[in-house]
Amino acid sequence: MIEVIGLTRRFRRSVAIDDLSFTVAPGKITGFLGPNGAGKTTTMRIILGLDRPTSGRATVNGVPYRTLDKPLTQVGALLDASAVQGGRRAEQHLQWLARANGISQTRIGWLLELVGLNKAGRKRVGGFSLGMKQRLGLAAALLGDPEILLLDEPLNGLDPEGIRWMRGLLKSLAAEGRTVLVSSHLMHEMAVTADHLIVIGQGRLLADTEITQFVRPGMSLEDTFMKVIEGSAS
Amino acid sequence: MNAVAAEWIKLRTLRSTWWALGAGVLTALALTALGASTVISRWDLGQTGEHASMGIIVAVYVGVVLAQLPLGMLGTLTISSEYTSGMIHTTFVATPSRTRVLLAKASVLGGIAIAVSLLIAIPGYLYGQAVASGFDPTPLPAAAWTVVGGGTLMIVMTTLLGLAFGAIFRNGVVAISMLVVLLVLVPFVGRMLPGGEVVNRILPGYPALQLIEQVPDTMPDAAAFAVLGTWAVAPLLIAVLANKRVT
Repeated sequence: MIEVIGLTRRFRRSVAIDDLSFTVAPGKITGFLGPNGAGKTTTMRIILGLDRPTSGRATVNGVPYRTLDKPLTQVGALLDASAVQGGRRAEQHLQWLARANGISQTRIGWLLELVGLNKAGRKRVGGFSLGMKQRLGLAAALLGDPEILLLDEPLNGLDPEGIRWMRGLLKSLAAEGRTVLVSSHLMHEMAVTADHLIVIGQGRLLADTEITQFVRPGMSLEDTFMKVIEGSAS
Repeated sequence: MNAVAAEWIKLRTLRSTWWALGAGVLTALALTALGASTVISRWDLGQTGEHASMGIIVAVYVGVVLAQLPLGMLGTLTISSEYTSGMIHTTFVATPSRTRVLLAKASVLGGIAIAVSLLIAIPGYLYGQAVASGFDPTPLPAAAWTVVGGGTLMIVMTTLLGLAFGAIFRNGVVAISMLVVLLVLVPFVGRMLPGGEVVNRILPGYPALQLIEQVPDTMPDAAAFAVLGTWAVAPLLIAVLANKRVT
């Protein structure tokens, strides 16, 4: 479970997040939607303790992320898949991460296979395509078998087969009772993947509802999303 | 300990680490051999065994100190390259305590600096002993420990200073420039300015050179060790405080 309570993040001149509150429940895929600059990434960074809120708080399993011992065993995160050092082999990247949280190295081979990188495990990450880096990032997120997953635009760079594969994997992870928060701007994809939606615009909460209740009759998710965003701007 | 082990894996799985260490060790070894041979060739026959041994150890630790810049750069890159690639966020997601990450990096780098000093000092020492065997050098005179301690502390200090600058400036070019300015440029300029000698005494270079007997003594050895130790620890503490602020 992820809880965001009255979260506000001001930068020097602008307000990135404005009194945002929501809860992400286990057992389903929650889509985190909003236009560019809406504050999705900032919210995720604050949940992970990478940024401090101006006011309010965010907790995972009831406590702030920074107080977790061996956080990877509770929360898996994929923020920016290309933020890896290119000189390392894929398996070496997972090795240091596993070691940092006392996670068994035996999971690495299995995970590389799960994300379809078993042949590329000994290759250097610098030569990876964005899609391959997303797969590696997902393996890193799953390293500690966490109950909670935070994935920021995990579909970027994936080919159609990869998108389908990711959708199936996320659904099975949610079906196992995990909390899955996925940000994306691909509306068609979210329409067939997400069970629940949290929509934000200009840092404020615009909708927090089951996807079936969000989509207006006779309209696509994309059309509804555009209407909601336009409605909030005016 | 998990964080220390993870940092060690990170460091050893980058080829640039081995290039930096290899270049540092090989250059230093070559210069040590050259230096020792030159020094020994100038001795007259009346040289005592103890003096001979000291001469060898001093030459060896001049070599160790010459390897400090590649190690300081390695210290910087260990953290600045993570900021550049953005991987630092993954590091902080795995180990949320910034202080723990920095101290883990410092432990690994400190260990590597000591290992490098021994990789240069031991072969250099054995080579010097072999070349000077005619003078019957004693194995390790008591005065040698000041040289060993001073040279080792200097290379550890530079490595940790590089790390601290990398953590403070978060930019490899800026941090390495600062390191070179502090270790090379400021002492050089300082010597030419009035009052420069006083300033030089509290910079890291002069105390180290005094301990390895390359410059006249201007302070007690204990004070020289204290200045060097402060340069090893204080910038790292500033980096820890600077990293309390996030992102």
